[in-house]
Amino acid sequence: MTRTITIEHLARIEGHAGINVVLDGSRIERVELDVFEGIRLFEALLRGRTYLDVPGIVSRICAICSHGHTITALMAIEAALGIDVSAQTRRLRDLAFQGASIESHALHAFCLALPDFVGQPSVISLAGAQPEAVATALRLKKLGNTIQEIVGGRAVHPVNYVIGGFGKLPSVDELLLLQQSLETGLEDCEKIVALLAGVAVPAFVNEPIRCAALVPEDDAFFFGRVVRLSDGAEIPVDEYRALTNEHTVAHSHAKHSSHDGRSFMVGALARLTINGDRISGRARRVWEQVGPPLPCRNIVMNTLAQVVELAYSIERARDLVDSFLRTGFAVEPPVAYRVRAGAGTAATEVPRGTLYHHYELDSAGQVVAADVITPTAQNFANAEDQLRAAVRDAGDVDEATLRLRLEMVARAYDPCVSCSVHVMRAR
Amino acid sequence: MKPRIGIFGLSGCWGEQIVMLNCEDELLALVGAVDFADFLGGSSVNDCETRLDIAFVEGSVSGALQEKALRRIRARARLLVACGTCACFGGVSAIDDGRPRADLARAVYGRAGEGYDTASHHPLSDFVKVDARLPGCPMEKHEFLQAVACLLNGDFPPVVATPVCAECKMKEQDCLLVSRQVACAGPVTGAGCGARCPGFNVPCIGCRGPAEEANFGSMTEILLKSGFREEDIRRKLRTFAPESRT
Repeated sequence: MTRTITIEHLARIEGHAGINVVLDGSRIERVELDVFEGIRLFEALLRGRTYLDVPGIVSRICAICSHGHTITALMAIEAALGIDVSAQTRRLRDLAFQGASIESHALHAFCLALPDFVGQPSVISLAGAQPEAVATALRLKKLGNTIQEIVGGRAVHPVNYVIGGFGKLPSVDELLLLQQSLETGLEDCEKIVALLAGVAVPAFVNEPIRCAALVPEDDAFFFGRVVRLSDGAEIPVDEYRALTNEHTVAHSHAKHSSHDGRSFMVGALARLTINGDRISGRARRVWEQVGPPLPCRNIVMNTLAQVVELAYSIERARDLVDSFLRTGFAVEPPVAYRVRAGAGTAATEVPRGTLYHHYELDSAGQVVAADVITPTAQNFANAEDQLRAAVRDAGDVDEATLRLRLEMVARAYDPCVSCSVHVMRAR
Repeated sequence: MKPRIGIFGLSGCWGEQIVMLNCEDELLALVGAVDFADFLGGSSVNDCETRLDIAFVEGSVSGALQEKALRRIRARARLLVACGTCACFGGVSAIDDGRPRADLARAVYGRAGEGYDTASHHPLSDFVKVDARLPGCPMEKHEFLQAVACLLNGDFPPVVATPVCAECKMKEQDCLLVSRQVACAGPVTGAGCGARCPGFNVPCIGCRGPAEEANFGSMTEILLKSGFREEDIRRKLRTFAPESRT
């Protein structure tokens, strides 16, 4: 007898998605993650527009990843136009990425995922039960936003990032404010980690997780030119299509990715798996207290990997701000350049995983082709594999429990569905 | 009983829901003042049938599924607020320049795109009555909080008719359009952002949609004199609000 389990609307994720499971007795017939987000066709809309319009438009692919999209687009356009940015610009962009990481991870780990671990339907009800903890979580989230506001000009859809540099550099007063907030952030992080240490992480699925992440080319954890898979394969960013290898599937508006015919996971857990040796200091201690043991076979631990990265990002941001205050900023207007025909690819690690932007421009700087591949899109195929494993490992639990488990697996990826449906190629 | 609030997202980037969640200092007070009865983005327990005192809706309508969802929200809500530029004007994903959606979908998804439910992106007011608008991409946090306070106390949020340019002048910022010949959309874009972008030496890109009191003719004339092509000017002014065809 076949049995269907349908989760029509996944709650506490960014965007619209559902889960469909079809069982025939104990045999799993189908496990699908459905995406029915309205399609927005960004890459097709960019064609024929000037490269100057691109960052402001692609930012709108996704609010929570807007700093990542904007800066990655700038890096790809800079590559196409042959522009080299200064070390100062690179480090300020690095700071922006730390802000995005703090804000996004605090939102997902504490407001969207954690309620499941403690049996609450939302952070709103959690606020009633644990007001102190929620206030601390919100302070951390705000810290990420403060960084994004100061460096990027606005928390959602930044305005200050331009080709070759910045519209305006942060002032000393702003840096001092950040320095102070970051010190408080380190204390808040310790408080919340102490609370987390007493929370049991649900462990109901036992399945290997194949990971992919950029290899940091220097001390910047979120930037790199080569992607590495946990089975050792390496792919230069310019050849990203060999990895992301997208195909459409009938049940979803989002494309799926696979490499060598098998799915892979991107995101915090993947970064710790591939580059964990670079985590030191307080973040290393947080990892020892609450982080995932490696290799990790419990996808739900991605949320705890985000907490480790949260600690990393606060510490890294503090180091960057300290160094800016020590040396001061060089007054440098955005790099001068000439418009020319060319193609450029850039990849960065944004909170949910590797993000790729690729543009081809004609000699007038008009977009001939655009390609954006988001982490969530890369994760869909892997999420379906892990959902399948969760059904397999469930034994004969009741349906309500199984439904909650499926939701938790999907939420573990911190899916950003609004992002994923713009994954497309215009030629 | 606390006023019942619903928060909904149609086609968009989730920006307005993120702005709401970004009210970190006010969030706990807000939770105390209202009942978030239907908020799928924040809670896994929702009442999808209950009458709502206020429905906040972000995103544009891009297909039959969403039109149906929007009409259902309208039927349940005493007041409906369009949040953000997509809900108010269509937003960036409406910039298809009249090209057939099927062609665009095929360019992106190949043959698979032909079966997708996709239509041009429309503002909410094309389908239902909208009681208040909070434009902005994203909407401003302070304007959202002000709107909540107004609506809970039986008033409507103030409507700003002036352009960004007015706010820029008040802040005595250097004019990018006149003194630097940069294509700044400040003169024709609705105010409320505090002329943020020019404050960062970056031109306004019109993310709040058209100002009620704007002189498009004069703006176009200045830009033409500065050497911009008419086609590029039109494109620029329609990036966020294709409805504002001038």
